Amino acid sequence: MQLTDSFHIDLDVARRRQQTNAWAKAVLLLAMGLYFVWVIASGNLPNYINERFAWLSYVAAAVLLLLGAHGIWRLLRPARSPISDDPLLQLVSARQEEHRPISWGVLAIVAFPLVLGTLIPSRPLGAESVSSISTSAVSAANVAEFQIDPLQRNVLDWLRVFNSSSDFSEFNGERADLIGFMYREPTFGENQFMIARFTVSCCVADASALGVPAHWAETATVEQGQWIRVQGVFQVGSFRDNTLPILQVESVELIDEPAHPYLYP
Amino acid sequence: MEADAKQQLRTLVMWILALAAIAVIFALILGGGDDAGTLLSVFATRFLGIFIEAAPFLLLGTLASGLIEAFVTADDIARLVPRNKVGATVTGAFLGFLFPVCECGVVPVVRRLFMKGLPMSVGVTFLLAAPVVNPVVLVSTYVAFGVGPVLIGRFVLTILVAVMVGLIFALSARPQDVLRARTLAPVMGGSIDVLPRRRSLGEGLSAALRLAGDEFFEMGRYLIIGTALAATMQTLVSQDVLLALGRGPIISVLVMQGLAFLLSVCSTVDSFLALAFAGAFTTGSILAFLVFGPMVDIKSTLMFAGIFKGRVVLYLIVLPALLTMLFAIWLNLNVVF
Repeated sequence: MQLTDSFHIDLDVARRRQQTNAWAKAVLLLAMGLYFVWVIASGNLPNYINERFAWLSYVAAAVLLLLGAHGIWRLLRPARSPISDDPLLQLVSARQEEHRPISWGVLAIVAFPLVLGTLIPSRPLGAESVSSISTSAVSAANVAEFQIDPLQRNVLDWLRVFNSSSDFSEFNGERADLIGFMYREPTFGENQFMIARFTVSCCVADASALGVPAHWAETATVEQGQWIRVQGVFQVGSFRDNTLPILQVESVELIDEPAHPYLYP
Repeated sequence: MEADAKQQLRTLVMWILALAAIAVIFALILGGGDDAGTLLSVFATRFLGIFIEAAPFLLLGTLASGLIEAFVTADDIARLVPRNKVGATVTGAFLGFLFPVCECGVVPVVRRLFMKGLPMSVGVTFLLAAPVVNPVVLVSTYVAFGVGPVLIGRFVLTILVAVMVGLIFALSARPQDVLRARTLAPVMGGSIDVLPRRRSLGEGLSAALRLAGDEFFEMGRYLIIGTALAATMQTLVSQDVLLALGRGPIISVLVMQGLAFLLSVCSTVDSFLALAFAGAFTTGSILAFLVFGPMVDIKSTLMFAGIFKGRVVLYLIVLPALLTMLFAIWLNLNVVF
């Protein structure tokens, strides 16, 4: 009799602990799912990954919400009749059924992305994240890029077109209309800057900075990292000891950060 | 008792890694000349970028593993394996396509396979190859790297290394030399299931979802710690330092292989961490990370220790490590990517 009682107490304590733990897990899964929904709905997703893979985040949101909802459903449904009257067997079956609880340390680690994602305002990579910036695209232009109206070409399109050219002077006098962020380094020549963008093929882990060199007498008036729309004409010149087409700026317009801050190669 | 000790060791290792990561982050943020707020914001973007891209694959992996756990028995797998030794070993390398398990799901499956009397070589090959040679990892590696040397190299090298190690075991080992007595016990007539019963579809699905939820936490922590480390490195370590380590054909392989062992990131998502290193590190070293990591790391070593004898655990670490290292260094020295 005594023995059976102490089993009952153990069973109760074990059950209560498992319940708290199970609630924490289910709520965390739901919260993570809601975070994904929020990132998608707020339009912040392009700050993190290539638009091409946005559907993966929809999948993640759906699965997380499903797992969280399932966890809560399991907690709320009426308790099933015990498999056996024997308390030892009940304890064993409860253990099997519930799996082992997840430690609080693990729960804290899994909550870390949520904390980071909700407390720190979402921002795309900008001028302060540039460790090295390139003036040439990895790949050369394909036919499609040549067919784009020169005024519609973005930073990446232009660099690709340059890449497939053997004589840059053929671009002298071509007009361009580009969007990017202001990027300067102390080593740049006087009045020189770059109209810079990050390219992202998968997610920001592979982000690399590219820029079209430009020349403008009022370069210093625009803050580093400010998003700008620049119009001008290309003229071959010297930039960082290379001969490159340099955009001779005619007008600069300060703009808001675009909805899609990265270019997708 | 032993399981408790292992659990404690695992928790300890995890906490040390987590604390080390946090300490490094704070030390560098406080020590760096840049504005701490800006650095934190850049870190958050880089961290969440990898996490958001990787989370769907982690979830798909855990769902698959939950479904297998709930519905597939070791008999189903054993039935697919040919009798011939070499044929069976090679089949073992591809079984992951039917049963997509990551490195944490694979150990329990292999244990049950051994209990069913499957040849050693098949089990070992399956153990080493399945975490990579499966559809979820195929897609995640493709998303990260596209079709190219990394995607192809990862699969070819993994299969080569797994089959070679499997064949070495085929030559020598009998189950009683390799497995711990406890793993063998059920074969002698014991039973591990206290309440064995056949699951209905609804019960099975419910169990699969619960297992997937649990595994999301078990695996998610490694992903999150690994991601924090990669994001910290990208945010704070200068390109020059990375290039100095990453351009050497031999040192880069050693660094990435060591990192793969320590980080213990799930094979479904390790591509996204590798991506963070791909700019500065040799392609051979990226391959070493993606081939060796899924086979052997801290968490799989702990799981190996649960079913194999000590000497065998050592072989299972050293053989894949050496083979991967040789292949990767050879590729770095002889192949232009």
